[in-house]
Amino acid sequence: MTRATDDVIIKTVSRIFTPFIQIFALYVIMHGHHSPGGGFQGGVILGASFILLVITQGLDKTRRRFSQKLDTIFCSIGLLIYSGIGILCLILGGNYLDYSKLNKILPVIAAEARSLGILGIEIGVGIGVMAVMYSIFSDIVTGGE
Amino acid sequence: MFLKVLSISFMLIGFFFFTTATIGLLRFPDFFCRLHATGKGDTLAVLLSLIGLAIYHGFCLASLKIISIAVFYFVAQPTATHAIARAALRCGVKPWAKGEERR
Amino acid sequence: MEKFFLGIGIGLCFLVLLCLYRGIFGPTVLNRLAGISAIGTKTLVILLLMGFIYDRVDMFMDISMVYAILNFIGTLAVAKYLETKGEV
Repeated sequence: MTRATDDVIIKTVSRIFTPFIQIFALYVIMHGHHSPGGGFQGGVILGASFILLVITQGLDKTRRRFSQKLDTIFCSIGLLIYSGIGILCLILGGNYLDYSKLNKILPVIAAEARSLGILGIEIGVGIGVMAVMYSIFSDIVTGGE
Repeated sequence: MFLKVLSISFMLIGFFFFTTATIGLLRFPDFFCRLHATGKGDTLAVLLSLIGLAIYHGFCLASLKIISIAVFYFVAQPTATHAIARAALRCGVKPWAKGEERR
Repeated sequence: MEKFFLGIGIGLCFLVLLCLYRGIFGPTVLNRLAGISAIGTKTLVILLLMGFIYDRVDMFMDISMVYAILNFIGTLAVAKYLETKGEV
């Protein structure tokens, strides 16, 4: 499954549709509090767009755009954002993930600080899930290299 | 009132195309004939049904999103059918001639 | 008006059951793939009709768009696997 398809139609259509799928995934992450969605669902759609690139363009071309080293860095950045916001709330004097204490560093009221805190950890979860899905898929498809 | 009649008629025509596509999927004698039925019939039926639903809702943001789902589906489903047909040709499925038995 | 949408929804559910015959008893694997792709198509329209019945269109629209994307990617992946006979 690592070679590209040798068909013009499938290659062109997947190249046209990948940016729209990624923008839709960002929309799903951002509107998590208002409609079905959130961090995990948007991360899965982002990972699925990269899987579409692998099965139509080939693994080498996709690795040139999104290397394994960058993948590992994104995995760690996602977890860092999630835990970082939690520990920041701890430092500012509340419980772990107690977002209302964030109004000491941001110029907003306590209720709005809660909303911004939830948005922050949704972004972290989305980035982490995308990186893990891409890593698991490229691991299975190359047979464990 | 006229908009409601228009949207109901669109949805009924879409449901008719869904029915004929499913009957074709069950009754045709060969794999490539069944792929014709489900590839073309289902795409047109989804397009008509979604246009009917968008007209019923009026002119607002939700209708534009329904139209965008229909446009995406109009491009994606024939590509998927083409991928299945190509895989069948590579695997060695032979077309059906008149007079042979069903397969 | 809701009774009309409910009637079309029940009709589409019956068509899904008919398509499932091809998904179970299709003589080869490719027949089953075509049947499951057709079931995915009908599910998309049933989801939007449920949104209109419960009067919450904005919620069910995002779900149906996600389902259209995942159906497309899944069909492409399985077709490629069957074409290259599973070789890496």
